[in-house]
Amino acid sequence: MVLSEDRLRAVLAWVVIVLLGGPITTAVLLGVLNGDSPCILCWAERTGMILIALVGLFVIRYGPRPRYLGMAVLLGLWGTFMAIRHSSLHLARDVGQGFSTTILGVHTYVWAWVIYATVLLAIGVLLLFVRRLAPEEGIREPGRAGRFATGLFIVVVAANALQAFASTGPPPYIGQGDPVRLSLNPRHWVWSLEELQPPRISLRGAWAIPAPDPGTADPDPAHGPLADLPTLPVSGWERIGVPLEGHLSGLARDSATGRYLAVTDRWGVYLLDGTLSHVVHRVVLDPGFSVDLTPLAGAAFLGGDTLAILCTNKSYALLMPDPQAQERAEWRHFLSTDGQMRELGLGRFQTVRAHQMYVMSLAFDPSARELVTLSVPNPRHRQLVVSRFARRDMVLSSEFRPSLAPGLTPAGPGRGLADYLVTGATVADGRLYAVSAAYSTLLVIDLEAREVVSAYALPGLAHPVGLAARGPELLVAQEDGRIAVVERPEP
Amino acid sequence: MEFLNFLLILWAAWLLWRRPEHERFAFRLLVISCVLMALLFLIGTHGSLVPGLNL
Repeated sequence: MVLSEDRLRAVLAWVVIVLLGGPITTAVLLGVLNGDSPCILCWAERTGMILIALVGLFVIRYGPRPRYLGMAVLLGLWGTFMAIRHSSLHLARDVGQGFSTTILGVHTYVWAWVIYATVLLAIGVLLLFVRRLAPEEGIREPGRAGRFATGLFIVVVAANALQAFASTGPPPYIGQGDPVRLSLNPRHWVWSLEELQPPRISLRGAWAIPAPDPGTADPDPAHGPLADLPTLPVSGWERIGVPLEGHLSGLARDSATGRYLAVTDRWGVYLLDGTLSHVVHRVVLDPGFSVDLTPLAGAAFLGGDTLAILCTNKSYALLMPDPQAQERAEWRHFLSTDGQMRELGLGRFQTVRAHQMYVMSLAFDPSARELVTLSVPNPRHRQLVVSRFARRDMVLSSEFRPSLAPGLTPAGPGRGLADYLVTGATVADGRLYAVSAAYSTLLVIDLEAREVVSAYALPGLAHPVGLAARGPELLVAQEDGRIAVVERPEP
Repeated sequence: MEFLNFLLILWAAWLLWRRPEHERFAFRLLVISCVLMALLFLIGTHGSLVPGLNL
């Protein structure tokens, strides 16, 4: 089937009529009848639809010239981007927490997405049947449908201009990010330049979070944010006696069996015996399927042979040694394996206060049966957040920003717990112990009181990555595989 | 500025309807209006130009 130019222009006139009479007129009516007032993004999306209709009028008047088609495609693509960008503000909220008016249960900013996609679809379908484009000359009579489309266009755009005047005002005023309901009473008109009062221009905004890098942290406890800390001397050194795939990035110890769990930044997981010199089981996790696993950052024994592995992006893996593990079934989970490990599941921890923050430590509180993470600060979120997740469903059960107990004082104005970069944690006797790669400091946190009750300088450490308890001792694991032994402070 | 943009669009539509021989000028108005529309959107999103989601 071939579409002649006259037929194309007639079809296009009806497309313009539908676009104007449907979404654009509905938008105006929602304002007049329902008080719906567009935000600055809504205005741009609505204007883009009107501009597509205007391009349609150009084709009706002058034929399908290449630059009109190019402009229509560009507007369709830009409109799709605008709708996605706008919808992204609200799509991930909880149920029923969208913004402003819905039509058939769908918010208007999502409808914009549908409309722009439909425009692109219509352009593609029409182009399939057009024999040739029009030359760059000549004026066509618009025909009856074309005249009606033009008249409707002027009426609808004039109505939009009036609404825009009431809602956003004359230049230099512009649309608002958070508009008030539309009123035809000038006393209630709000004309604003608020959107021109800029914070900085950013490509990713709050999502521009650099990956944590403990290697750049200052290890000197004397420069730390807390004043006059006592020193906890290293009483001895041990080391992991087996080669690892990648650098060590987390360590845990099972008090029941004496075994150790070591993880690396190359997704290696090693179950070691009590001497740290024999690999009982080993796997290398597949970081790409089907949960994104950033470099491993923490490990914990959850009891009953279950192993928990944490990544810096708060994704986790649950594993279990199993001599009966089926190699074919586990191939999808592991890049390599000793054939005696089974994956129980992958997941992602969801946090509230620690949202958009990375973590570099994991601990397990056996009395509360909760997993514990501590956030590391970033340029946008400078805070230390302790998050606790119920073992039963791996969902956040509580979260807090610890305070300082009496006797602990900041070393200066603006200094505080957010200066620390916790890379290892463990729970023992109801206390959370956390080691910071920044300023080589051990924090002791009372989980009930939600406060740091004591802190100790640990001089001589180099890039600590993990912390484990062994009776009255704490084992501070370093990236190079060496382990510093210190006496565990009394509660 | 949205009000101004609609006036530009109305001007272009009027040219198509009543002065079709001024196609080039009308098309320029269309381009200016597109740029203004895109600029206003970017002003509204300057704190995060791309969607605030995992990309």
